[in-house]
Amino acid sequence: MRIVASYSIKGGVGKTTAAANVAWLAAESGHRVLLWDLDPQGGATYLFRVRPKVKGGGEALVSGKRDLHDAVKASDFDNLDLLPSDFSYRNLDLLLDAEKKPTRRLGRLLDGMADEYDVVVLDCAPSVSLVSEGIVRAADLVLAPLVPAPLSVRTLDQLRSFIDAAKGPAPDLLAFLSMVDRRRRLHRDLTEQLPKEHDDVAATAIPMASVVEQMGVRRSPVVAWARTSPASVAYRSLWDEARLHAKV
Amino acid sequence: VAAEFVVDETVGPSCVDVLTDALPLRVDSHHIERRVWFDTHDWRLFRAGLQLEQHLRKRESWLVMSNLDGRRISRQPIGRTAVTPDDLPDRATRELIGVRALLPRVVATGPVQVLSVLGPEEKTVARIVLEGPTTVRDGTPVGMRARVESLRGYDKHAARVCRTLDAIPGFGPAKEPLFESVLRAAGLHPRSFRSKPDLEFTPRIPATQAFAGTLTQLREIVRGNVDGTLRQLDTEFLHDLRVTVRRTRAVLKFAHGTIAEDIRTKYAVELKWLADQTSLSRDLDVYLLGFDDLVSHVNAAGELEPFREQLTRHCKRAHAALNRALRSERFAALLDGWQNELAVAGPAERPVIEVADDLLSRAWKRVAKRGDAITDDSPAEAVHDLRKRCKELRYLLEFFGSLYGADARSEAVTELKHLQDILGEFQDAEAQRLSVHENAVELANAGTPAATLIAIGRLEHHLQLRQDAARAEVADRWHRFNRKHNQRLYARMVTSR
Repeated sequence: MRIVASYSIKGGVGKTTAAANVAWLAAESGHRVLLWDLDPQGGATYLFRVRPKVKGGGEALVSGKRDLHDAVKASDFDNLDLLPSDFSYRNLDLLLDAEKKPTRRLGRLLDGMADEYDVVVLDCAPSVSLVSEGIVRAADLVLAPLVPAPLSVRTLDQLRSFIDAAKGPAPDLLAFLSMVDRRRRLHRDLTEQLPKEHDDVAATAIPMASVVEQMGVRRSPVVAWARTSPASVAYRSLWDEARLHAKV
Repeated sequence: VAAEFVVDETVGPSCVDVLTDALPLRVDSHHIERRVWFDTHDWRLFRAGLQLEQHLRKRESWLVMSNLDGRRISRQPIGRTAVTPDDLPDRATRELIGVRALLPRVVATGPVQVLSVLGPEEKTVARIVLEGPTTVRDGTPVGMRARVESLRGYDKHAARVCRTLDAIPGFGPAKEPLFESVLRAAGLHPRSFRSKPDLEFTPRIPATQAFAGTLTQLREIVRGNVDGTLRQLDTEFLHDLRVTVRRTRAVLKFAHGTIAEDIRTKYAVELKWLADQTSLSRDLDVYLLGFDDLVSHVNAAGELEPFREQLTRHCKRAHAALNRALRSERFAALLDGWQNELAVAGPAERPVIEVADDLLSRAWKRVAKRGDAITDDSPAEAVHDLRKRCKELRYLLEFFGSLYGADARSEAVTELKHLQDILGEFQDAEAQRLSVHENAVELANAGTPAATLIAIGRLEHHLQLRQDAARAEVADRWHRFNRKHNQRLYARMVTSR
């Protein structure tokens, strides 16, 4: 089982859309995929039309009172299941802190899913916290969206430092430019420069596109219903890069 | 929960309308699908409770693994070419298939409609898959089915859908899953597949009848393996054919005094001919199957490649010769005669139990006599002789075991098997060593590089060590087998009734 975490320190940069599309593409290629929506806002859960509720909340899952298996819900797509968000995840930091070896807890919980899933995609809340440390520790690959801006290199540096500082073996990092508007010169320049200058930046950039925004209306990954759109082509290409890094 | 319903012909054409009236539904897909079910010749997947299907649609093809009741385990995209074990993602299933080939066992074509049952926020909470009417290749058609698929975390919804369907006129619970109906429509019965005769005798039936029944089953098993042997689908076809011929020869031997002597002699000659035809191909198959393992002991895979190539050439030639034999009039006449002369019961004389008692006590005495004579210094011929007698005893236990109670039979076979294993190891190592030597001479005459010949020398030495190790264990294993417990076990078998 390989674990891919869609993570960013910053919010609103395309983590959830990346997680949903990547999970769908992994499932489409025949892998058994679990998408765990760890964000209390429940964006991924909403996209897949699942009720954002886990019996007993985050506490029951983290403490082991409730088996992760029992909380899983099938999505509308073959091979793709979802572990829904719950509003109590806003306290996940506190819940983890109450456990022994808190940064290893998420990884331990996921170990129990290895028989059933080939790929786990984690959709993480934007923060630097105990939860994000646990996610980095559990993941084989951190997939990190960057908005094309002069500060994106600094964000990337912060992310690298955060991953390096985390305990345990460091996961692979694959950052990618997200919400790219090719009409803007700065966006075009960064899309060309960053992958050349940094090994951990994907060659693929995800365009700013109305179909991606439509995902929230259609409540389904764009790769499922606009397969030939530039955004879908880009997500497919991003997954091709990511699965090599994650050894899926 | 997976539940299947048979849909009445009268409902069939308006099925979707009927369902839409009863449930909140969305038609997700509608297509014509060709389904090919794969399994090994001996139904290894089926026997493990699995079904493997290739779903071929206009633009896509999927490989689906499910339980026999239709619950899906995995689904993956796959090319349109034939499925091989390498296509399977699950290692345990690949190991289950082993050396056997995955064969298309049954093909069916028909319309498939997938309907999503919608819950709150239009989330799919269950699926109804409408399949059929299905045309089965070389079989009779199978009527329309509605299969309810439950989705993880939404089991209650699926149960509710099942209850709804159950209440709709024209929908009735299916007595068996579609796969089993398709198999039956194609005249296939995996549960009754046998790679060796399934024999249950009552003590007082005439021996002639018991032998005729056994020989009928043996003939069917031979026939069932001919096509796969001719086409070399996998090496097990020839193996099973060869073992069955060996069993038949043993049965003929046991039939002394039961089957007319002239007929027995005639078929003994013909079956020996058939066995001889299969020997070389099987030996070479075994060689090549175990080649990598064998050469790993001498750590010279590269140097031994010319040896492998020579074996492959010999194997091809041997199979071509075998195929000529299997296509010959002599073989056809053997199968015909087998049916007309061997598989018919002659006049009833002795009951089978008397014949079995005689044969079993004689076979046990023969084994005991030869086993007792074995010492660490006995010649190889004495070990071979003991092995043959053990084989004879084993076949007797297989054929007549049902007369002596399942427990006694299975214990006797298990004990005997331990002894046979070491005798087999000795014999195999010797046969392989002699064969390695013959091949080395041939390669040397063909100007093969010295490095290859040296590596073959190491291989021969390794086989000699294996044979010596097995030989050193023979006497000890015999004494373990011949302990009081087993002597009593055999004595009890023939005197317990």
